[in-house]
Amino acid sequence: MVAAKKTKKTHESINNRLALVMKSGKYTLGYKTVLKTIRNSKAKLVIISNNCPPLRKSEIEYYAMLAKVGVHHYNGNNVDLGTACGKYYRVCCLSIIDPGDSDIIKSMPGDH
Amino acid sequence: MVKFLKPGKAVLLLQGRYAGRKAVIVRNFDDGTRDRPYGHCLVAGIKKYPSKVIRKDNTKKTAKKSRVKAFVKVVNYRHLMPTRYTLDVDLKDVVTVDTLQSKDKKVTASKETKKRLEERFKTGKNRWFFTKLRF
Repeated sequence: MVAAKKTKKTHESINNRLALVMKSGKYTLGYKTVLKTIRNSKAKLVIISNNCPPLRKSEIEYYAMLAKVGVHHYNGNNVDLGTACGKYYRVCCLSIIDPGDSDIIKSMPGDH
Repeated sequence: MVKFLKPGKAVLLLQGRYAGRKAVIVRNFDDGTRDRPYGHCLVAGIKKYPSKVIRKDNTKKTAKKSRVKAFVKVVNYRHLMPTRYTLDVDLKDVVTVDTLQSKDKKVTASKETKKRLEERFKTGKNRWFFTKLRF
């Protein structure tokens, strides 16, 4: 059975890695820009919140499958993902273009 | 990280008169042009799908039912849904940017793509492309 509950430790590490990306890397927030970066093959990792509408989630996953980009389902809703990015608004999906100093690309895409 | 909007890719049109139709990318303009400063591509698609042919039909009827009506269009990437399917028909010489300048050039280009799509349909390959998307 798939681990239904992600441990607190890995969740914090994703948040730490995201914070490092926000500080040192390049990213875009939001559905329209996520699709744009996937289309022009700039995206390296796509993170989707857990309350993303299922049609939009499948669409982003399909695009990412075509482009062979990793998708990470964040363990939190769009409010939490926005907070994790250090923003004061909700973020449903985001795309990391350049991770900067973070190792989020190397350590994350294993888990879906 | 892999470019997937390449010539030969089967896509669905999402907006416009041809929404819901399947098309194949003939030429991409990823960075746009001066007239169209956005990513867009030339597509050739099916305006009217071929009908279902049954065993009972005689040759005249199958010929009539297997007709395909084609269209040629320039579409923004935003108005496309790419699929995992490809269709390799050689339309590069038929469908070019200047065929869309005047009406009669567009008509001759559509007629030529119609011919090529029909012969591809008759071989029985790429069956997904020639079935109507039900929605």
